[in-house]
Amino acid sequence: MDFSIDRDTAAAVEAEREWGEKEMRPVGLEADREARPIPVDHPYFGRCLARGLGRTRWRRPGDGAASRGSVVRSMLLAEERAYWDRGVVVAEPGPGLPEGNVIAMGTEEQKERYLGPFLESDQPRWACFAMTEPGAGSDAAAIRTLARKDGDHWILNGAKCFIGGASRSDWILVQATLDPTQGRSAQRSFFVERGTPGLGGFKIEKKMGLKAYESTSFTLEDCRVPAANLLGGEERYERKAGFKGAMQTFNAGRPVIGAMAVGMGRAALDESLRFAREHDLLDRVRVRDRVEAMARTIRGARLVCLRAGWLAEQERPNVPEASMAKALGAQVCQEATGLGLELLGLAAGTGDHLIEKLYRDAKAMDIVEGTGQIQRVIMSRSLVGLKTR
Amino acid sequence: MFAFDIDDELEILIEVTRKLAAEKLLPTLREAEQHRAVDDSVREAFVEVGLAGLEIPESLGGAGLGSLSRVCLNEELAAADAGAALALDPLGPALYPILELGGEATLAELQAACEARPGSRAVLLCEAEDRDTAGSLSLEAAWVPADDVAAVVALGPEGCCWATDGIATRRVRGAGLRAAGASRLVVEGAPLRGAWRDPEGASRAWARSRLYVASLQLGVMRAACEFSRAYAQEREAFGRPIAHHQALAFLIIDMNMALEGARLLVHEAAWRADRGLPVAGEAAAALVECIEAARFIGPNGVQILGGHGFVQDYPVEKHMREARALGLLAGGLDLAVQEAGRHLCDREQPLALAHLASGGE
Repeated sequence: MDFSIDRDTAAAVEAEREWGEKEMRPVGLEADREARPIPVDHPYFGRCLARGLGRTRWRRPGDGAASRGSVVRSMLLAEERAYWDRGVVVAEPGPGLPEGNVIAMGTEEQKERYLGPFLESDQPRWACFAMTEPGAGSDAAAIRTLARKDGDHWILNGAKCFIGGASRSDWILVQATLDPTQGRSAQRSFFVERGTPGLGGFKIEKKMGLKAYESTSFTLEDCRVPAANLLGGEERYERKAGFKGAMQTFNAGRPVIGAMAVGMGRAALDESLRFAREHDLLDRVRVRDRVEAMARTIRGARLVCLRAGWLAEQERPNVPEASMAKALGAQVCQEATGLGLELLGLAAGTGDHLIEKLYRDAKAMDIVEGTGQIQRVIMSRSLVGLKTR
Repeated sequence: MFAFDIDDELEILIEVTRKLAAEKLLPTLREAEQHRAVDDSVREAFVEVGLAGLEIPESLGGAGLGSLSRVCLNEELAAADAGAALALDPLGPALYPILELGGEATLAELQAACEARPGSRAVLLCEAEDRDTAGSLSLEAAWVPADDVAAVVALGPEGCCWATDGIATRRVRGAGLRAAGASRLVVEGAPLRGAWRDPEGASRAWARSRLYVASLQLGVMRAACEFSRAYAQEREAFGRPIAHHQALAFLIIDMNMALEGARLLVHEAAWRADRGLPVAGEAAAALVECIEAARFIGPNGVQILGGHGFVQDYPVEKHMREARALGLLAGGLDLAVQEAGRHLCDREQPLALAHLASGGE
C-alpha cells in the first residue's frame, strides 16, 4: 500500500494550482456573473493553447503510441483543476469526451481526419460526444435517435440534449440506433461535422451553475453523413456483433468525476475555514465539529475515488467501486458546499460569495454521468444481484 | 504513488488470520461470549501461527510489525469475534504508551506482568487530562473489557503512567465484547511502575490506540455488512429476495460505502504511522469515521434481518452491540472529534489542506 504522491505528479498538481488560481477561478467567476458560457473567442482559450492544453493525446502512426497515462495521476490533476473551477475544466478546448472512443475504435482515416487537427494548436477547437436525449440519460440503451442506411450514406434523425460544447464543436460523435428495440447491440456512433445539413436547432441551456461551459440541445433531421463516418467502419460490426463486445469491465470515467467533486468539496472546505477564521468562528465547538466532519468525509471520499481509479488503471474490474466513487464524491461535495453556506449565515444570501457558486455548481456533480441514485442501481447489480433489464 | 494492493507478506498473514478466525473463532463465538474467555486451544493456535506479539519489537521476541499490519489483522479477527480479538492480545493497545514513552525495558516489564498470570491482560485507559505522575495511581472505570487485569496503563494528552498492584476488579455483565471479559475497575493508591511526560510520544500512542480500536470496528462492520447482505439475497418477501427491493438494496449499498470510506481512512493513517509521518489528526478522524459508520451499519445489519436480527440465533445483534461498545474505547468519540478538529482548525496554514494535496510526502 502507498498513500503518497510522487514528486513529478506533486509538481504537476502544484502547476495546476498556480494556473487555477491565476486563470481558471477568475474566468469561472466571470462566466457565472455574466451567466453565459465562456465565448469561443475568449482570450482564456488562447492562453490554454499556449499552455499546451486543447490537444489530442493521439499520435500519427510512427510518432509513438497514444499515451494512456496514469488514471490516478489524471484524477489528482482533475481534482486540483476542479478545485479552481469545474465548469472551466469542461469548457476548455480539446477533443474531449469522444477522444478515447475514437482512439480505441476509430479507423486510421477517422483518427487522421477527426483527431489530426487537434495535434496543432493554431486555434481552439472542440469536439463532443452526444448520447443523452430528452428521454434517455443513464439508461443509454433507451436512446431513440435513428440511423438508417441509404446507399453509401447514413441518415440520422433524432434529438440530443445536455451535450457539452455541441454548438462550438468541429464535429459531434452522435450515438444512434439501428433498431430501438435491440438495445446497445444495435447502437452505432457517427461523426457529424459542423454545417452538415440537417444538424441544427442548437439551444444553449440556461443552467443553475457550471455556467462556464455550454450544455446544448440540438436536432438531427434527415441528417445525411457518408458511410465512412460510422465510427470504426462497417467491417468492425461485421466482425463483432455490435457494441456490447467492446464494453469494458472497468470504468475510469466515474472515478474522475468523483475526484472533481472532491476537488470542489475541498474548495468549499478551504473557503469555509477561511471565512470562519476571519470571523473568529473556529473556537466555537459546534463550528469546529462540523468543519471536522466536512474534512473527514472529503478525505474518505477522496480515497474511495482514488482506489476506484487505481483499479481502472490496473485494468481490474471496478464497476461497483467506480459507481461508489462517483456517488460518494458528489455527496460529500454537496454536503461541504451546503455546510459552507450555513457558516456564512446571511452573507451567503447575497449571491456573490464563491461558496454560493460552489453550492450551485456542486449539484451537477450528483447528476452528470448518472445520478447518485442511478449509481446505486448500478451497484445493486453487483452487490445484491439486482436485475435491471 | 498511490497503490492499494496489500504487500505479499502481509497478504499471507491476512490469509492465515482469516482462516484461523473462520475455523477457531467464528464457530464458538457464542460459547466465548458465555464463558467470557477464548478456549486455550484457540490461544495456542493463535501463538502457533505467529500472531502473538505482532507489534512487539523483535528484540523482545515479537514480530516487530507496524500499524498497517495490526489494522489489517485486527479487521480479520474482529470480523469473526471482536471480543476474542481482544482476549487473544494480552497487551492490546496498552502496548503503545509503554513502547512510545517507556521504551523497550518497560515493555519487557509489562510483558512479564501479563505472563505471570496466564489469561490476564493489560488495560489501557485514555483520559482527557494528564495525571499527576508523582506517587501513586487512583482511578475508577465503570467498564473495561477484561476480567483479569494484570496492569493498568493511563494515557493522558501528554504523558502516561502505569501500575500493576492495587488493582481491583468486579465483574459486570458487559454490553459487548464479553469474550474478553467485562469488569468494573478500581485502582486505589497503586504504586506507579513508571510515569512519563512526552507530548510527542503520547500523541503517537493515542494515534496507534485509536487505530487499534478503529480496525476492530472495521471487522465488526464488515461482518455485519456481509451477513446482512447474504441474508437479504436469500430471504424473500413479495415474490423476490428482499435485497431486490430498492429500499433494501440502497441501504445495503450505503452500508458498504460507509465501510469502504472508513477502512481507507484507517489504512491511510496506519500507513502514515508506520512512516513516522504526523498522524494524530488522521488517526483521530479515522476513529470518528469508524464510530459514525458503526452507528449506521450496526443497527441496520439487525434491521435487514428483521425479527431474526433481534434474536441471538444470528450474529448481527452481537455486531450491533459490539461495534457500539468498541466506540467507547480509546477515549471514545468526543475526544477524537476534538483532536481531529484541533489538527484541522488550529494549524497555522490549514487553508490549502497540504496533507490532502500531497499525501503527506
